[in-house]
Amino acid sequence: MIYRIYSLFFGVLLLLSTPIYALEVIEILGGKASEIPIAIVPFDGLENIGGQKAHQIISSDLNRTGLFRPLNTLGISNPPSSDININYTKWSAMDAQFIVVGKVESENPVSGNIKITWSLIDIFKEKTVVSMRYIGKKSQYRAIAHKVSDNVYEHLTGSKGVFHTKIAYVKKVNNKKYSLNVADFDGFNSRPILNTTQPIISPRWSPDGEKIAYVSFEKKKPVIYIQNLRTGKRTLLANFKGNNSAPAWSPDSKKLAIVLTYNKNSQIYTINADGSGIKRLMRSNAINTEPSWAPNGEDIYFSSNRGGNPQIYKVNINDDEISRVTYEGKYNLSPSISYDGKLLIFLTNDQGKFKVAIQNLISNQVLKISEGPADESPIFAPNGHLVLFTYKDYGKTTKIGTVSINGLKRLPINVGSSIIQEPTWGPITN
Amino acid sequence: MNIPQFNFDLIRNSNIWGILEDDHNLQANLFSFLIHFALFIFMIFSIQWQTKIPNFAEVELWDAVPTQIKNKQIKTEPKKNKQIKKIKTTPLKIDKQQLKLNEEAEIKLKKKKVAEKKALAKKKKFQEIKKLQAKLLKQEEIDKLQDKLLEQDKLDKIKDKLLEQERIEKLQDSLRDEELKKKPTIAIAADTEVLAGINSGELDRFKALIQQKIQQNVNNQLCGLDRVELEFEISLMPTGDLLGEPKMTQSSKIASCDAAVERAILQSQPLPIPQDKKLFKRLKDLKLKFHPNGHYDL
Repeated sequence: MIYRIYSLFFGVLLLLSTPIYALEVIEILGGKASEIPIAIVPFDGLENIGGQKAHQIISSDLNRTGLFRPLNTLGISNPPSSDININYTKWSAMDAQFIVVGKVESENPVSGNIKITWSLIDIFKEKTVVSMRYIGKKSQYRAIAHKVSDNVYEHLTGSKGVFHTKIAYVKKVNNKKYSLNVADFDGFNSRPILNTTQPIISPRWSPDGEKIAYVSFEKKKPVIYIQNLRTGKRTLLANFKGNNSAPAWSPDSKKLAIVLTYNKNSQIYTINADGSGIKRLMRSNAINTEPSWAPNGEDIYFSSNRGGNPQIYKVNINDDEISRVTYEGKYNLSPSISYDGKLLIFLTNDQGKFKVAIQNLISNQVLKISEGPADESPIFAPNGHLVLFTYKDYGKTTKIGTVSINGLKRLPINVGSSIIQEPTWGPITN
Repeated sequence: MNIPQFNFDLIRNSNIWGILEDDHNLQANLFSFLIHFALFIFMIFSIQWQTKIPNFAEVELWDAVPTQIKNKQIKTEPKKNKQIKKIKTTPLKIDKQQLKLNEEAEIKLKKKKVAEKKALAKKKKFQEIKKLQAKLLKQEEIDKLQDKLLEQDKLDKIKDKLLEQERIEKLQDSLRDEELKKKPTIAIAADTEVLAGINSGELDRFKALIQQKIQQNVNNQLCGLDRVELEFEISLMPTGDLLGEPKMTQSSKIASCDAAVERAILQSQPLPIPQDKKLFKRLKDLKLKFHPNGHYDL
C-alpha cells in the first residue's frame, strides 16, 4: 500500500516537472495599405466582341480601386479557362495571390446571346473562391464584365463593387451649350438627360437612384430642379428669393438640404422632395453652405466661415447642435460624407493648391489623396472606396477622374474632349 | 650494593678552603694550571690538526742552464738594460708646503667627488622614489578606476538582474493570469520553464522578427475602419513553413479582413526560426493576435 502511494506521489511529481509550455503570443499591430496582386487571364473563346475584351475590362475596373494590382497576363502560354488543372506553382511564382479565368461562348446562335463562365481562384489556398455564369446580349458584354468585377471585388474586399453603377456630369461646350449626362462609372455609354444653354451645377443623384437634383440658371438665377430619370420629368424644387443652390439628398431620398440666400448670407434649409416643408436649420450670421447629409439622417455636414476661415462643421437637425469637424488645414470646404458615415472628403487649400483630402471620422486622421492644383467637387462612390472629382491643370481643360481613398490610384474618366465638370455618382442597384 | 654518595658536607666542613684562602702561591699555581688546562682543551678541540699526508711535487734540479734556451730574445735583454741605464733620473724637488696643499686639494677634490657622488646617488634615489611614488599613484588610480569599473559592472549586473527579474516576474504574472484561468498546472510549468533559463532575449528577438514579417503583409485596407481583433494559431516546421493551415480562433467579423490576415500569414512563409532546439520548441506553436487598425478607440 505504501509502495503504491509512493509511486503515485513520484508519478505526480514527474508530471509536474515535465515542462508544459504556455502558447507563445505575438501581437501584431497595424498593417499597410497594399494592393492584392491578381492575374486576370484572357478569357477563352469569343472574348473579343466589338474590340472589347472581358479580361481587359475587369482588369481596368479592379486597377482603378487601389486595392488590386492586376498582373500582366499577355503572352502567357496555355492560359487556363477554368479552375481545373491550375498550375499553382507557376502563378505563385508570378506573385499572383488570385487569378480570374473564364470563357466566352455563344449561348444561342439564333438570339445572339453570349454565355460567360468564370472562376476566381485563390493561389495560396489552391482552391476556387467562386465560379459563376452570366448569360446576356452581346450589347451587354461590358455590363457583364463589370458584374464579374463586382463579384471579384465583393469576394475579396467584403464591399460591394461599383463597376456596374452610373455617374452623371455636366458637359460644357464652347461656353454656350450645357448638358447633363449619365454614363457608366468608367465613362462608357454616355448619354445626355438635359441639354440647355444655361449653366448647370451641383447635380446630386438621389440614394434611391430614381432622380437627380441640380441647379440650373435657366431662370436667370440659380434654382433647383429635380429630374426623374425614368420619365425625364423635371420638377422645380426651389425658386425662393435670392439664390437656390447646393442640393443634398437625405438618405431616404425624401428630403433635401438646400442653400438659400433668402436672408442675407447663404443659409442651409431642409425641404421635402416635393417642395413642401421648407425649414431653416441654423440661426447664424456666418455663411453656411455645401450641405452633405450623413447616412444616419440626423447630421448634416457643411462648410462655414463662422470661425473665420472656411471649415467643415456638422449640425444635428433635431437639436441644431453644431460641432466643428476639420481642424487640419486653414481652408477646408465642399464636404461629402461616405455611405457608412465613417469617412469625410473635402477640398483643402494646401499652400495655394486645392486638393481632395479624406478624414477618418473615427481616428480623425487626414490624408490628402489628390495632387491639385485646382481640384473641385469631390463626391464618394456608393461603396465609399473611390472618390469622383473634377481636376484641372492650369490652362488645360477641366476633366473628371477617380481617386482611390488610399490615394494610390488616380485615373481619369474619358468622356470626350469637352469641359467635363460637376460629377455625381449614382447608387448601387441590383 | 652501596652506591657511593658524594659528601658535600665533608668538603664544606674540611679545611681545604681555608688553606686556599691563606696560601696565595697555591692560588697562583692553581690558576696557572687551570689556564694551561683550558688552553690545552681549547687546542685539542678547536684546532684542526693535519692528519693527512700532503701531496708532494717532484722537482728536477739542473746543474747548468740547457743550451737550447740560448736564443735572440734572451740576447736582447742586455740592450734593454742599456737603455734603462741611459735614462737619467733626476730626483724630484718636493716642496713640502706645496705637497701639503696638493694633499689638501686632493682630499678636498676627493671629498667633493664623494659629495657629488652622494648627491647624484641621492638625486637618483629621489627620482627613483618619485617614479615609484608616481607609479604607485598611477597604480592606485588604476586600481581605483578598476574598482570603480568593477563596481559599475557589478551595479550593471545587479541592475540587469533586477530588470531581468522584473521582466521574468511580469512574464510570469501575465502567463499566470492567462493560463491560471484555464489550466493552473500549465501556468506553473511555464513559470518553471522561464526560470529554467530559456534565453528570453533571443526568444523576444525571434518573436519580434516573426511579428515584423507578418505585419508587413497584413493588408489592413480590407479590415474596415473600426477597431478589429483577430486571433490565429499556427504550428511551424523547423524550416519556418507552416505545418498545416492557420487556425482562426477569433474572427474580426469581416470576412475580407479574416481572409487578408490569413493570407498575410501564408505569405510570410518561411518565418524566421531559431536554430536552437529549445527555443524553437517554444516558438513551434504560436498564437497570433492581430489589431489591423491599431488600438484607437471609437
